[in-house]
Amino acid sequence: MLTINNLVKYRGTQEILSGISFKARPGRVTGFLGPNGAGKSSTLRILLGLDRATSGSALINGKPFAELHNPLATVGAALDGFGAHRMRTGRAHLRWIARASGLSRSRVEEVLEIVGLTNVAGKRIGNYSLGMGRRLGLAAALLGDPKILVLDEPVNGLDPEGIRWIRTFLRERAESGNTVLLSSHLMGELEETVDDVVIINHGKIVANGTLKEVIGNHSTLEEAFFALTSKNAGDVV
Amino acid sequence: MSVSSSRKITLILGAELEKLVTLPLVWLTLMGTFILNLVLAAAFTSVGLQGAAGTQSILKIGLASMEYLQAGFIILGILATCSEYTGGQIRTTLTTIPWRGFQLSAKHLALAIVTIPMAFIIAASGVLYACIMMRDTALVIEIDAMIKTLVGATGYLTLTTLLSAAIGVLLRRTTPALVVLLGHYFIVSPLLRDFLPSIKNYFPDTAGYYMYMPPSSDEINVLTPIQGTGVSMLWTLIFITVAIVFYRKRDA
Repeated sequence: MLTINNLVKYRGTQEILSGISFKARPGRVTGFLGPNGAGKSSTLRILLGLDRATSGSALINGKPFAELHNPLATVGAALDGFGAHRMRTGRAHLRWIARASGLSRSRVEEVLEIVGLTNVAGKRIGNYSLGMGRRLGLAAALLGDPKILVLDEPVNGLDPEGIRWIRTFLRERAESGNTVLLSSHLMGELEETVDDVVIINHGKIVANGTLKEVIGNHSTLEEAFFALTSKNAGDVV
Repeated sequence: MSVSSSRKITLILGAELEKLVTLPLVWLTLMGTFILNLVLAAAFTSVGLQGAAGTQSILKIGLASMEYLQAGFIILGILATCSEYTGGQIRTTLTTIPWRGFQLSAKHLALAIVTIPMAFIIAASGVLYACIMMRDTALVIEIDAMIKTLVGATGYLTLTTLLSAAIGVLLRRTTPALVVLLGHYFIVSPLLRDFLPSIKNYFPDTAGYYMYMPPSSDEINVLTPIQGTGVSMLWTLIFITVAIVFYRKRDA
């Protein structure tokens, strides 16, 4: 269970998160949606202990990220970009992560197989395409076989086959009781994947509920999203 | 300390070592430094051959390239920490190892483990070259003095590397860190030596000089090797401590 409670973040004098609160529950895929610059990545970075909140809390099973005993086995995270040095090979990148958590090298080969990177694992990451970089990030997130996945824009850069693969993969993870939180600005891709939806705009939550609740009277999630974000609605759905 | 904590520290150290040794730039820097040092040692030896004699001359000539050689170790230190900020690797590091103080301490320890043997080999190669070329000038090669000097040189290069790594953590970007450190070691410090002679011995590089260079009789206000080591170590520890404080508090 991920619990974000009244999160506030200032950068300089600018308030970029204004009292964000929501939960991501086990057995469900939660979509965290919003336009670019709305505060999605900032929220996820605080959740993962990368940035400090000005006030409020972001907890994983009731604990801040830094207090987790074995983070890699608890939360798998893939943020934007490759998250890896471009001169190292994909395999070497995953191996140091595995070593830090006491995982075997055979687990590295397993996750390379799962994300379909085995054939290019010996190549330098600088030669990877955007889609391959996303798969590498996902491989790192899966190394510890965590019960919680936090993914920032996971479909960004993937080809149609990759998008379908990740959609199926995330649904299967949730159906076996895991918690999946993913952020995106691509509504169409998410409508078929998510159970719950949280929409953020200008650092404020403008909608929070099940997919059906958030869509409401609109015909699609995309329409609901634009209706909620364009008028900058202050009321939470 | 509990068993799990000590195992965790071992794992973090292992991961930091693996990161260093799988980064091709680290090996390129060390190989480049080794080759450059040999070229410089050859040049200094060829100039120094005229009129030089004895073990002290061999050491002075063999280590004359240290001033330039340290640039390679400054680059090594900066690479070790600034490489975290290439490709967003820092996010992976901190979501894998969120205990920032431990992680950064382990990184410095791993860097020292890699640097110590390489610094010894590189410093020794210059002295060895001078030794072979000047063997006829010294009646007896004083092995004790030679080893003491090489240990001092290794210590100085290791402390310089660790200090550079700490500056790399503070600045996060390779180019500004290179400008600051190379600017200090090659421009600011030599100028300050002339303008502030009373405190010149207390800069990290000038104090470090006394760790390996035997004092000559015509110098006054010199530090002993122990004092030089103490001052140099203090600078390094101060910068590592400041780096850890900032690293723990700031956003990644």
